[in-house]
Amino acid sequence: MGDFSLLAAYKQEFIDGFLTTLSASLLALVLSLCVGTIIACLRLSQVQLLEWIGTAYVEFFRNTPLVIQVFFFAMGLPSLGWNISEFTAGAIGLSIYTGAFIAEALRAGIQSVPRGQMEASRSSGMTYIQSMRYVILPQAFKIVIPPLGNQCVNLVKNSSVLAIIAGGDLLYAADTVSSQTFQINLTYLFVAALYLVITLPLSFGVNQLERRLARQS
Amino acid sequence: MIQFEQVNKYFGDFHVLKNIDLKIHSGEVVVIIGPSGSGKSTLLRCINRLETVTGGKLIVNQTDLTDPRADINRLRQDIGMVFQHFNLYPHKTALENISLAPRKVRKTPVDEATKQAKQYLSKVGIPEKADAYPAQLSGGQQQRVAIARGLAMKPKIMLFDEPTSALDPEMIGEVLDVMRDLAREGMTMVVVTHEMGFAREVADRVIFMDEGMIMEENAPAEFFQNPQEERTRRFLSRVLKH
Repeated sequence: MGDFSLLAAYKQEFIDGFLTTLSASLLALVLSLCVGTIIACLRLSQVQLLEWIGTAYVEFFRNTPLVIQVFFFAMGLPSLGWNISEFTAGAIGLSIYTGAFIAEALRAGIQSVPRGQMEASRSSGMTYIQSMRYVILPQAFKIVIPPLGNQCVNLVKNSSVLAIIAGGDLLYAADTVSSQTFQINLTYLFVAALYLVITLPLSFGVNQLERRLARQS
Repeated sequence: MIQFEQVNKYFGDFHVLKNIDLKIHSGEVVVIIGPSGSGKSTLLRCINRLETVTGGKLIVNQTDLTDPRADINRLRQDIGMVFQHFNLYPHKTALENISLAPRKVRKTPVDEATKQAKQYLSKVGIPEKADAYPAQLSGGQQQRVAIARGLAMKPKIMLFDEPTSALDPEMIGEVLDVMRDLAREGMTMVVVTHEMGFAREVADRVIFMDEGMIMEENAPAEFFQNPQEERTRRFLSRVLKH
């Protein structure tokens, strides 16, 4: 199938790519959770305009290709005179895209919390935001752990979009190595295994978390 | 303290509340009875604006609830509400359920709020359940925690929306006992219930509602012994027989 020793020479490329994928994913995960929470709250708002903004956001970013969104941040913004690194462009694109999916998962979770919870907390004088923060969201997060876990795994895999804007991630490293060594099958299989190193523990962790939360309630 | 003036409410085409005129004074215990669908819960929920009225005037604690600029969060701090299905926060302990609003709304420091929450738990008779989660409590205990939660904001008015309807029969007594004590202490209470014994014993005034209207209101002795309206007599004969 190929000569594995040829790849050893590119150890540093793989390490750099792995770390870039990992850090882009982590950064995008935190950002997309923030974006998703805000958009979900907008979608559930009683204020018509806010709800419309939330819906427009979700429908636009969920229904257009991630590649185009990342292209915009990587090349569109610099052409308008706003220079950002490929890494930043990729991370922002991923956050905005994944945020739309997370918003939908959160919205479903929030709506599955019984109405009486909001009524009880609002009745005690808490504002809408306080009720959300202390009563509704903690319960909703429990419900959305499984779909959120899916989004995390997708996010890590989607971070490979960095490769096409020369973002220096794992897939980019693989492209570089395979074009220089012609060990195509071996390189991509190896890199796929490296993605698994990130995603399998993630899946496992989400499953554990789900089980622990289920036991609590 | 609470004043309905010609209040009307519609759910779509459905006329739930029809020309309601009602005055409730400070310290009064008013029990609202009536068949299901008569609008009694809706009337109660208008008082803290969980439901908005469609027409007329509703004044609670000097606040005009029909005024769109009314500070509803401020108003609700002074009105405790107890629900049929308790609506405790399942992810918080009994103590946290009680101390949450005082901490976040009244900005009471944590230790002070916790201390007070313990006092209210003792008041409703289950100080030993402070660290229990709602799922670990019986229905009667949950409802008592819910009452303590309402009291913790030191409200001027307590609203009860069928507080014993979701309870097993042997747990109804413990909840009614807590409510009876509250009434004795002079709390202003509006109670929607099917517990006729409680109405007879504790209420200052009983209100009978049917089809969105207040059909009859009177002091409990007079109301139960000598109902004026035919509709009230029919209702009472059906609920008092068993």
